[in-house]
Amino acid sequence: MEIRLRVFRFQPEKDQRPRYDVFTIETDPTERILDLLEYVRGDVDGSLAFRRSCAHGVCGSDAMRINGRNLLACKVLVKDLGTSEITVEPLLGLRVIKDLIVDMGPFLEHYKSVMPYFINDDIPADGKEFLQSPEQRARFDDTTKCIMCAACTTSCPSFWSNTEYVGPAAIVNAHRFIFDSRDTGAAKRLEVLNEQFGVWRCRTAFNCTEACPREIKITQAIAEVKQVLTSGKLE
Amino acid sequence: MTATSEQIRRVKVRPNYDHVAWKWMRYSALLLIPLVWFHVILQDVIVGVHTMDLDYVAQRWANIGWRVYDALLLGFAMAHGMNGVRQVANDFIKGERARTIMSWALFIFWLAITAIGAAALIGGVRQDFPLN
Repeated sequence: MEIRLRVFRFQPEKDQRPRYDVFTIETDPTERILDLLEYVRGDVDGSLAFRRSCAHGVCGSDAMRINGRNLLACKVLVKDLGTSEITVEPLLGLRVIKDLIVDMGPFLEHYKSVMPYFINDDIPADGKEFLQSPEQRARFDDTTKCIMCAACTTSCPSFWSNTEYVGPAAIVNAHRFIFDSRDTGAAKRLEVLNEQFGVWRCRTAFNCTEACPREIKITQAIAEVKQVLTSGKLE
Repeated sequence: MTATSEQIRRVKVRPNYDHVAWKWMRYSALLLIPLVWFHVILQDVIVGVHTMDLDYVAQRWANIGWRVYDALLLGFAMAHGMNGVRQVANDFIKGERARTIMSWALFIFWLAITAIGAAALIGGVRQDFPLN
Protein backbone atom coordinates (compact mmCIF):
# COMPACT_ATOMS: atom_id res chain seq x y z
CA MET A 1 0.00 0.00 0.00
CA GLU A 2 1.06 3.59 -0.56
CA ILE A 3 1.12 5.95 2.38
CA ARG A 4 1.79 9.66 2.81
CA LEU A 5 4.05 10.21 5.78
CA ARG A 6 4.03 13.79 7.09
CA VAL A 7 6.95 14.38 9.41
CA PHE A 8 7.41 17.39 11.70
CA ARG A 9 10.75 19.04 10.98
CA PHE A 10 12.36 21.74 13.07
CA GLN A 11 15.89 22.74 13.87
CA PRO A 12 15.63 25.70 16.27
CA GLU A 13 19.16 27.00 15.48
CA LYS A 14 18.41 27.25 11.74
CA ASP A 15 14.66 27.31 11.15
CA GLN A 16 12.37 30.26 11.76
CA ARG A 17 9.41 27.95 12.21
CA PRO A 18 8.62 24.25 11.99
CA ARG A 19 7.53 22.61 8.73
CA TYR A 20 6.15 19.25 7.67
CA ASP A 21 8.01 17.15 5.10
CA VAL A 22 5.87 14.69 3.17
CA PHE A 23 7.23 11.34 2.06
CA THR A 24 5.24 9.02 -0.17
CA ILE A 25 6.23 5.48 0.71
CA GLU A 26 5.25 2.08 -0.66
CA THR A 27 4.97 -0.19 2.34
CA ASP A 28 3.27 -3.22 3.89
CA PRO A 29 0.36 -2.68 6.30
CA THR A 30 2.31 -4.71 8.86
CA GLU A 31 5.28 -2.34 8.91
CA ARG A 32 5.77 -0.28 12.04
CA ILE A 33 5.90 3.51 12.07
CA LEU A 34 9.47 3.18 13.31
CA ASP A 35 10.29 1.20 10.14
CA LEU A 36 8.97 4.07 8.02
CA LEU A 37 11.08 6.59 9.90
CA GLU A 38 14.12 4.33 9.59
CA TYR A 39 13.49 4.10 5.86
CA VAL A 40 13.26 7.89 5.51
CA ARG A 41 16.42 8.46 7.52
CA GLY A 42 18.36 5.63 5.84
CA ASP A 43 17.28 6.05 2.22
CA VAL A 44 15.71 9.48 1.69
CA ASP A 45 16.82 12.14 4.16
CA GLY A 46 19.65 11.36 6.55
CA SER A 47 19.11 14.61 8.46
CA LEU A 48 15.86 13.40 10.06
CA ALA A 49 16.32 13.16 13.82
CA PHE A 50 14.42 10.83 16.14
CA ARG A 51 15.21 8.65 19.13
CA ARG A 52 15.09 4.87 19.12
CA SER A 53 16.86 2.13 20.97
CA CYS A 54 15.43 -1.34 21.53
CA ALA A 55 12.66 -1.01 18.93
CA HIS A 56 10.53 -3.52 20.85
CA GLY A 57 8.46 -1.38 23.20
CA VAL A 58 10.72 -1.80 26.21
CA CYS A 59 13.14 1.13 26.29
CA GLY A 60 10.55 3.87 25.71
CA SER A 61 12.84 5.97 23.50
CA ASP A 62 10.56 6.43 20.51
CA ALA A 63 7.44 7.91 22.07
CA MET A 64 5.98 10.49 19.68
CA ARG A 65 2.69 11.86 18.45
CA ILE A 66 1.35 9.70 15.67
CA ASN A 67 -1.82 11.03 14.10
CA GLY A 68 -2.32 13.17 17.19
CA ARG A 69 -1.89 10.44 19.80
CA ASN A 70 1.11 9.67 21.99
CA LEU A 71 2.37 6.25 20.92
CA LEU A 72 5.58 4.26 20.66
CA ALA A 73 6.63 4.25 17.00
CA CYS A 74 7.94 0.69 17.45
CA LYS A 75 4.59 -0.66 18.67
CA VAL A 76 2.28 0.84 16.06
CA LEU A 77 1.71 -0.87 12.73
CA VAL A 78 0.59 1.06 9.65
CA LYS A 79 -2.64 -0.98 9.56
CA ASP A 80 -3.39 -0.05 13.22
CA LEU A 81 -3.91 3.56 12.16
CA GLY A 82 -6.57 2.71 9.59
CA THR A 83 -5.44 5.43 7.17
CA SER A 84 -2.79 6.03 4.55
CA GLU A 85 -2.21 9.59 5.85
CA ILE A 86 0.22 9.42 8.75
CA THR A 87 1.46 12.47 10.63
CA VAL A 88 4.38 12.11 13.01
CA GLU A 89 5.18 14.89 15.49
CA PRO A 90 7.26 15.29 18.65
CA LEU A 91 5.75 14.96 22.13
CA LEU A 92 3.94 18.05 23.37
CA GLY A 93 4.97 20.11 26.38
CA LEU A 94 8.73 19.59 26.03
CA ARG A 95 11.12 21.76 24.02
CA VAL A 96 12.01 20.43 20.58
CA ILE A 97 15.74 19.91 20.17
CA LYS A 98 15.49 18.70 16.59
CA ASP A 99 12.64 17.21 14.55
CA LEU A 100 11.12 14.46 16.70
CA ILE A 101 13.63 14.75 19.54
CA VAL A 102 12.49 16.68 22.60
CA ASP A 103 14.40 17.85 25.65
CA MET A 104 13.61 15.24 28.32
CA GLY A 105 15.43 17.31 30.97
CA PRO A 106 12.37 18.80 32.74
CA PHE A 107 10.62 15.42 32.63
CA LEU A 108 13.60 13.70 34.26
CA GLU A 109 13.94 16.47 36.86
CA HIS A 110 10.36 15.79 37.97
CA TYR A 111 11.15 12.08 38.04
CA LYS A 112 14.18 12.70 40.26
CA SER A 113 12.17 14.94 42.60
CA VAL A 114 10.08 12.01 43.89
CA MET A 115 13.15 9.94 44.86
CA PRO A 116 12.44 6.98 42.59
CA TYR A 117 14.71 4.55 44.43
CA PHE A 118 14.44 2.20 47.37
CA ILE A 119 14.87 3.87 50.75
CA ASN A 120 15.44 1.80 53.87
CA ASP A 121 18.41 2.15 56.18
CA ASP A 122 17.17 -0.48 58.65
CA ILE A 123 18.86 -3.85 59.08
CA PRO A 124 16.63 -6.74 57.92
CA ALA A 125 15.41 -9.04 60.73
CA ASP A 126 17.43 -11.96 59.36
CA GLY A 127 20.38 -9.71 58.53
CA LYS A 128 20.09 -10.58 54.86
CA GLU A 129 16.97 -9.32 53.11
CA PHE A 130 13.63 -7.60 53.54
CA LEU A 131 10.88 -10.13 52.95
CA GLN A 132 7.59 -9.38 51.29
CA SER A 133 4.42 -11.42 50.79
CA PRO A 134 3.01 -11.92 47.26
CA GLU A 135 0.05 -9.71 48.28
CA GLN A 136 2.37 -6.91 49.39
CA ARG A 137 4.28 -7.20 46.11
CA ALA A 138 1.05 -7.15 44.12
CA ARG A 139 0.08 -3.83 45.71
CA PHE A 140 2.45 -1.87 43.48
CA ASP A 141 2.88 -4.34 40.62
CA ASP A 142 1.13 -2.17 38.04
CA THR A 143 3.40 0.83 38.53
CA THR A 144 6.59 -1.23 38.19
CA LYS A 145 5.80 -1.51 34.48
CA CYS A 146 6.71 2.11 33.66
CA ILE A 147 9.35 2.48 30.92
CA MET A 148 9.75 6.26 31.29
CA CYS A 149 8.71 6.99 27.71
CA ALA A 150 6.97 10.24 28.80
CA ALA A 151 3.85 9.44 26.73
CA CYS A 152 1.67 9.99 29.82
CA THR A 153 3.17 13.22 31.09
CA THR A 154 3.21 14.82 27.63
CA SER A 155 -0.44 13.89 27.03
CA CYS A 156 -1.54 15.60 30.24
CA PRO A 157 -3.38 18.93 29.82
CA SER A 158 -2.19 20.07 33.26
CA PHE A 159 1.42 19.51 32.18
CA TRP A 160 0.87 21.28 28.84
CA SER A 161 -0.41 24.36 30.59
CA ASN A 162 2.24 24.40 33.28
CA THR A 163 5.34 22.23 33.08
CA GLU A 164 6.06 22.84 36.76
CA TYR A 165 3.50 20.08 37.42
CA VAL A 166 5.38 16.95 38.50
CA GLY A 167 3.37 14.91 35.97
CA PRO A 168 1.86 11.41 35.81
CA ALA A 169 5.13 9.53 35.17
CA ALA A 170 6.78 10.90 38.31
CA ILE A 171 3.68 10.07 40.36
CA VAL A 172 3.60 6.53 38.94
CA ASN A 173 7.22 6.03 39.93
CA ALA A 174 6.59 7.49 43.38
CA HIS A 175 3.60 5.14 43.74
CA ARG A 176 5.87 2.18 42.99
CA PHE A 177 7.94 2.94 46.11
CA ILE A 178 5.30 4.53 48.36
CA PHE A 179 3.29 1.28 48.35
CA ASP A 180 6.34 -0.99 48.67
CA SER A 181 6.08 -2.48 52.17
CA ARG A 182 9.89 -2.63 52.46
CA ASP A 183 10.41 1.05 51.72
CA THR A 184 10.55 3.72 54.44
CA GLY A 185 10.71 6.87 52.29
CA ALA A 186 6.97 7.35 51.70
CA ALA A 187 6.68 10.47 53.87
CA LYS A 188 9.46 12.25 51.96
CA ARG A 189 7.90 11.45 48.58
CA LEU A 190 4.42 12.37 49.74
CA GLU A 191 5.73 15.72 50.92
CA VAL A 192 6.83 16.46 47.35
CA LEU A 193 3.56 15.22 45.88
CA ASN A 194 1.54 17.26 48.38
CA GLU A 195 2.91 20.51 46.99
CA GLN A 196 1.02 22.86 44.68
CA PHE A 197 2.48 21.18 41.60
CA GLY A 198 2.14 17.67 42.97
CA VAL A 199 -0.85 15.35 42.72
CA TRP A 200 -3.39 18.13 43.30
CA ARG A 201 -2.74 19.42 39.79
CA CYS A 202 -4.21 16.21 38.36
CA ARG A 203 -7.68 16.90 36.95
CA THR A 204 -8.40 13.23 36.17
CA ALA A 205 -8.53 13.81 32.42
CA PHE A 206 -7.46 10.16 31.90
CA ASN A 207 -5.24 11.16 28.94
CA CYS A 208 -2.28 9.55 30.70
CA THR A 209 -4.04 6.22 31.16
CA GLU A 210 -5.04 6.24 27.51
CA ALA A 211 -1.54 7.14 26.32
CA CYS A 212 0.42 4.62 28.40
CA PRO A 213 1.90 1.96 26.07
CA ARG A 214 2.29 -0.35 29.09
CA GLU A 215 -1.39 -0.01 30.01
CA ILE A 216 -0.63 1.16 33.53
CA LYS A 217 -3.75 2.43 35.30
CA ILE A 218 -2.12 5.79 35.87
CA THR A 219 -5.15 7.83 36.91
CA GLN A 220 -5.94 5.16 39.48
CA ALA A 221 -2.37 5.26 40.79
CA ILE A 222 -2.60 9.05 41.15
CA ALA A 223 -5.93 8.69 42.96
CA GLU A 224 -4.33 6.17 45.34
CA VAL A 225 -1.58 8.64 46.17
CA LYS A 226 -4.21 11.33 46.82
CA GLN A 227 -6.00 8.82 49.04
CA VAL A 228 -2.85 8.22 51.10
CA LEU A 229 -2.34 11.97 51.49
CA THR A 230 -5.90 12.23 52.76
CA SER A 231 -6.11 9.13 54.97
CA GLY A 232 -2.48 8.49 55.92
CA LYS A 233 -3.01 4.75 55.35
CA LEU A 234 -0.53 3.03 53.08
CA GLU A 235 -2.42 -0.19 52.37
CA MET B 1 9.99 -16.93 61.81
CA THR B 2 7.77 -14.05 60.86
CA ALA B 3 8.12 -13.79 57.14
CA THR B 4 6.48 -10.46 56.51
CA SER B 5 4.55 -7.85 58.39
CA GLU B 6 0.97 -7.40 57.16
CA GLN B 7 0.06 -4.60 59.55
CA ILE B 8 -1.32 -1.40 58.03
CA ARG B 9 1.46 1.10 57.48
CA ARG B 10 0.68 4.70 58.23
CA VAL B 11 2.31 7.90 57.17
CA LYS B 12 1.86 11.43 58.39
CA VAL B 13 1.82 14.30 55.90
CA ARG B 14 0.93 17.78 57.06
CA PRO B 15 -2.05 19.11 55.07
CA ASN B 16 -1.15 22.28 53.17
CA TYR B 17 -3.14 24.94 51.34
CA ASP B 18 -3.50 22.99 48.09
CA HIS B 19 -4.47 19.80 49.90
CA VAL B 20 -7.21 21.67 51.80
CA ALA B 21 -8.34 23.49 48.62
CA TRP B 22 -8.62 20.17 46.78
CA LYS B 23 -10.73 18.68 49.57
CA TRP B 24 -12.80 21.85 49.82
CA MET B 25 -13.65 21.64 46.12
CA ARG B 26 -15.10 18.15 46.59
CA TYR B 27 -16.87 18.62 49.92
CA SER B 28 -18.41 21.95 48.92
CA ALA B 29 -19.59 20.35 45.67
CA LEU B 30 -21.31 17.60 47.67
CA LEU B 31 -23.02 20.18 49.84
CA LEU B 32 -23.98 22.30 46.84
CA ILE B 33 -25.89 19.47 45.20
CA PRO B 34 -28.80 19.46 47.74
CA LEU B 35 -28.59 23.23 48.30
CA VAL B 36 -28.79 24.09 44.61
CA TRP B 37 -31.33 21.40 43.72
CA PHE B 38 -33.67 22.47 46.47
CA HIS B 39 -33.24 26.09 45.40
CA VAL B 40 -33.98 25.29 41.73
CA ILE B 41 -36.96 23.04 42.49
CA LEU B 42 -38.51 25.57 44.86
CA GLN B 43 -37.89 28.70 42.80
CA ASP B 44 -38.35 27.40 39.28
CA VAL B 45 -40.80 24.52 39.71
CA ILE B 46 -42.90 24.97 42.85
CA VAL B 47 -43.09 28.79 42.84
CA GLY B 48 -42.24 29.40 39.19
CA VAL B 49 -40.20 32.25 37.74
CA HIS B 50 -43.27 34.08 36.39
CA THR B 51 -44.96 34.41 39.78
CA MET B 52 -41.78 35.61 41.47
CA ASP B 53 -41.97 39.33 42.29
CA LEU B 54 -40.73 41.78 44.91
CA ASP B 55 -43.63 40.81 47.13
CA TYR B 56 -42.58 37.17 47.05
CA VAL B 57 -38.93 38.03 47.71
CA ALA B 58 -39.87 40.25 50.66
CA GLN B 59 -42.08 37.50 52.07
CA ARG B 60 -39.35 34.93 51.68
CA TRP B 61 -36.66 37.10 53.24
CA ALA B 62 -38.91 37.91 56.17
CA ASN B 63 -37.99 34.43 57.38
CA ILE B 64 -34.55 34.17 59.02
CA GLY B 65 -34.25 30.52 57.94
CA TRP B 66 -34.45 31.47 54.26
CA ARG B 67 -31.97 34.29 54.74
CA VAL B 68 -29.43 31.90 56.26
CA TYR B 69 -30.11 29.32 53.53
CA ASP B 70 -29.61 31.89 50.77
CA ALA B 71 -26.50 33.34 52.43
CA LEU B 72 -25.00 29.84 52.72
CA LEU B 73 -25.86 29.06 49.13
CA LEU B 74 -24.22 32.27 47.96
CA GLY B 75 -21.12 31.77 50.12
CA PHE B 76 -20.62 28.11 49.19
CA ALA B 77 -21.36 28.53 45.51
CA MET B 78 -19.05 31.55 45.25
CA ALA B 79 -16.26 29.84 47.20
CA HIS B 80 -16.57 26.72 45.07
CA GLY B 81 -16.52 28.81 41.90
CA MET B 82 -13.65 31.03 42.99
CA ASN B 83 -11.57 28.00 43.91
CA GLY B 84 -12.27 26.63 40.43
CA VAL B 85 -11.19 29.92 38.88
CA ARG B 86 -8.03 29.83 41.01
CA GLN B 87 -7.17 26.36 39.71
CA VAL B 88 -7.75 27.37 36.09
CA ALA B 89 -5.78 30.60 36.58
CA ASN B 90 -2.88 28.55 38.01
CA ASP B 91 -2.56 26.99 34.57
CA PHE B 92 -1.74 30.34 33.03
CA ILE B 93 -0.01 32.32 35.75
CA LYS B 94 3.69 31.68 36.12
CA GLY B 95 5.65 32.53 39.24
CA GLU B 96 4.92 32.09 42.92
CA ARG B 97 4.38 35.81 43.62
CA ALA B 98 1.84 36.26 40.81
CA ARG B 99 -0.05 33.17 41.99
CA THR B 100 -0.17 34.46 45.57
CA ILE B 101 -1.53 37.84 44.39
CA MET B 102 -4.13 36.07 42.24
CA SER B 103 -5.25 33.86 45.17
CA TRP B 104 -5.64 36.86 47.46
CA ALA B 105 -7.49 38.86 44.78
CA LEU B 106 -9.96 36.01 44.32
CA PHE B 107 -10.40 35.66 48.08
CA ILE B 108 -11.12 39.39 48.45
CA PHE B 109 -13.56 39.23 45.52
CA TRP B 110 -15.33 36.25 47.15
CA LEU B 111 -15.45 38.04 50.48
CA ALA B 112 -16.84 41.24 48.93
CA ILE B 113 -19.57 39.51 46.91
CA THR B 114 -20.56 37.28 49.83
CA ALA B 115 -20.61 40.26 52.21
CA ILE B 116 -22.69 42.39 49.84
CA GLY B 117 -25.08 39.48 49.22
CA ALA B 118 -25.35 38.64 52.90
CA ALA B 119 -25.90 42.31 53.79
CA ALA B 120 -28.74 42.47 51.25
CA LEU B 121 -30.22 39.25 52.64
CA ILE B 122 -29.94 40.10 56.30
CA GLY B 123 -30.43 43.84 56.31
CA GLY B 124 -32.00 44.58 52.96
CA VAL B 125 -35.69 44.04 53.71
CA ARG B 126 -36.73 47.12 55.57
CA GLN B 127 -40.26 47.63 54.30
CA ASP B 128 -43.23 46.36 56.23
CA PHE B 129 -44.96 43.33 54.82
CA PRO B 130 -47.22 43.23 52.83
CA LEU B 131 -45.85 45.88 50.52
CA ASN B 132 -48.08 48.67 49.31
